[in-house]
Amino acid sequence: MKLGVFMSDFRTGSDIIDRLNAEKLGIIFVGNGIYHATVKENGKTSNVLDKSATFYALTEDLESRGFSSANLDSRVKPVTYSDVVDLIFNDYEKIIWI
Amino acid sequence: MATKRLGFIVRSLPYKTEASRLAMTHAIASQTVEIYLEDGDMVEPVVCFIGDGVLNCLKSQQAMKHYGITSLEQHVKNGLLLDLKIMICKEDIEKLGIKEDSLIMDAEDIGGETKAQIVPYSEIQKEMDSVDHLLFC
Repeated sequence: MKLGVFMSDFRTGSDIIDRLNAEKLGIIFVGNGIYHATVKENGKTSNVLDKSATFYALTEDLESRGFSSANLDSRVKPVTYSDVVDLIFNDYEKIIWI
Repeated sequence: MATKRLGFIVRSLPYKTEASRLAMTHAIASQTVEIYLEDGDMVEPVVCFIGDGVLNCLKSQQAMKHYGITSLEQHVKNGLLLDLKIMICKEDIEKLGIKEDSLIMDAEDIGGETKAQIVPYSEIQKEMDSVDHLLFC
């Protein structure tokens, strides 16, 4: 299964991410999920980024919160709304939102 | 003559919920209630950002561009313009790796003279102890 996961929270959802298995897993940080890709808590990056997955962060939500693509963890690719639509239609068979 | 002190303690992240926005707008609006009070009575709000709430204070928020709504950055600046006491928890910005130059510390660009304060949590606790009413959101 090619699974795309929209992650929109900072403090919840990591436990579910840990349990997800997919042949191809994409995690798209949107809304408050972008803090996983930008903030280092006590100097450590989010555990979510340790998952074997392809990571994306929506630039609109980054910029709205005072970040830019330059603040992103190197494992995360910035994407626009248009790119996200392409991911949904071209890259992932199933999409979930947590 | 009496002064009612109101404490707005913001621990929520911006935008996904309205919590931090409501705290800021209520703190700003609370000064207008003075027109309904007895002569000499006053309301003095203080806004404190703690925990993840400190992320409301980051500069360069582009909420108007992307969401079509005013940013929390603008609300913080408006608060400073109106001489609101705004405190940001020192331990929490350090925990999240946020530098002072990333934070909205003043509203000089819109004519404000008051500055935000980065303070240890113990100072915020003192504010919570001293206010008459407390909104924790």
